[in-house]
Amino acid sequence: MSWRGELLAVWAVTLRNALMGARNVFFFFELLFWPIVGVLSIGLMSRFLELTPAQASFVLVGTIALSIVNVCQLEVAYAVLLDVWSKSLKHQFLAPIGIRHLTLGSWVIGMVRSLLVFVLLAALGRWAFDFHVLQPGWVVLLTFLLGCFLTAWVVGVAVCALITLFGNRAEAFAWASVNMVLVLAGIYYPISVLPDFIAAIAKAIPLTYFLDAYRSHYGFESEFAAPIATGLALSALYAALAHWAFLAAIQRARRTGLLLKMSE
Amino acid sequence: MGMLAIDARDVEKTFRSGWLRRRETRALRGVSLTVERGAIVGVLGPNGAGKTTLLSILATLLTPDRGTITVLGHDVVREAGLLRRRLNMASGRPSFLWSLRVGEIVAFYGRLYGLSGRALRARVDALIELTELGPYRRVPYSDLSTGLKQRVALAKSLVNEPELLFLDEPTLGLDPDVAGRVRGHIARLRREAGITIVLTTHYMREADELCDEIAFIKGGQILARGTPGELKRQIRLGEVIALKLDPVRVPWLAEMPGVLRCAEIDGWVECTVDEAEKRLPEILRLLHADGVVIRNVQVHEPELEEVFVELAR
Repeated sequence: MSWRGELLAVWAVTLRNALMGARNVFFFFELLFWPIVGVLSIGLMSRFLELTPAQASFVLVGTIALSIVNVCQLEVAYAVLLDVWSKSLKHQFLAPIGIRHLTLGSWVIGMVRSLLVFVLLAALGRWAFDFHVLQPGWVVLLTFLLGCFLTAWVVGVAVCALITLFGNRAEAFAWASVNMVLVLAGIYYPISVLPDFIAAIAKAIPLTYFLDAYRSHYGFESEFAAPIATGLALSALYAALAHWAFLAAIQRARRTGLLLKMSE
Repeated sequence: MGMLAIDARDVEKTFRSGWLRRRETRALRGVSLTVERGAIVGVLGPNGAGKTTLLSILATLLTPDRGTITVLGHDVVREAGLLRRRLNMASGRPSFLWSLRVGEIVAFYGRLYGLSGRALRARVDALIELTELGPYRRVPYSDLSTGLKQRVALAKSLVNEPELLFLDEPTLGLDPDVAGRVRGHIARLRREAGITIVLTTHYMREADELCDEIAFIKGGQILARGTPGELKRQIRLGEVIALKLDPVRVPWLAEMPGVLRCAEIDGWVECTVDEAEKRLPEILRLLHADGVVIRNVQVHEPELEEVFVELAR
């Protein structure tokens, strides 16, 4: 496919997701309600527990990262979920597009939506809890956001693969595993407090490194030697694995007939 | 023989389900099918016969377990990506994203096939006009009636100007007038655009009206194949000579050579004969000689529906 064809297919999916999102009141709810509730409850809890400003920043960084990743990965998962819910999956896979178009197109709109969430939460954090997202500087902040987006892409594609592999019955399982991964990444605590075997799992999650790098600018010593490089390397590895898993799941669904069953 | 759009040989497909207790369903058992370019071929058969499985394999949505399939000159498994640009499919049970409007759905799929800008707008406009969806262009898909949804599916299936179109029960659940219009569209597509069409249907009249050839499938095997006329002859259902007689009862009619059976229905005597052209003059001569008054005579071929019932038995 030519570059123009590649971009058009990605744009088609981006536009489709944007239109669906703009017309669904629940999507709007997802975008605002839970992220705001998260930051407010964590911020108020840190005030009640009389955490130091640095400690409060630590947990607020975690809850903001959780919101960004959740909103963005959900949008990536919509690459398949929208068609599963509307039973139009077979039309999608009858067209000459690859999974890269689906996931990238959804990822683009996911990044836009989670950037909106981030701006909103950053403003709320600043106003309510005197938390400054730009304290570490633009480059560090943008790297942190990139890390969140990459993690979301990997998680979203993995959810797509699971649903394509096991059908829509696997939806609940897919969301549970996503949240488990995020909790293990040291959202609200340094992974040094985790038992060794769980910490080993946490070290395999890219978000752990991006959180560590960002938090190191709020007075917490980095637990890793080269967190950004490690996070990027792990993201690249998992992106390739998730892409392969999704592709294999689609091929299996064509073999088993699940692709048609999910369209009935 | 013209160029083949589809050349499928010995296609087999078995579905396996269940984790602990594995169940196997043999959907296709050595199906072979050829379709010439520009033809409309109907795949008929009872529920669960394997029609949709066959169409889905030919359209690259399913992979076969065995067999060789060439569609538009491409191997259906190895060159599926290339093939998808040149074919499309519409189903009688269409489903698209609920919030998207009619024009947006067609445009979305148009972009997936590489259309953009003015070319995309022109194609969307043309398809909306062709399927008479103009007044519904800005209506969300979830607000459309079944018939309108089917027209959206037809518009979407033509967005890439396919050389080969699969229609899976395209008039399912439609009012007779809407179904008639959809059939009109299908006939026009072949006539004006030369598209090869493979369709499944439960409506025999539709198959009789549209199809150049029919393949009858049951239990994953093609049991009969031919033009509607050939199928009727192949099944040897015979032709029916309906007679309005006075007196109504003529006992010796059923004993005549070439008469397969006779029945009295609503004051008519319906004799099924092997060949009406050969038997009718003799029957009329003998009736006249016997002093029977012949008030009316009609000859008709068996309906395709009767062929279907016979084959499905």
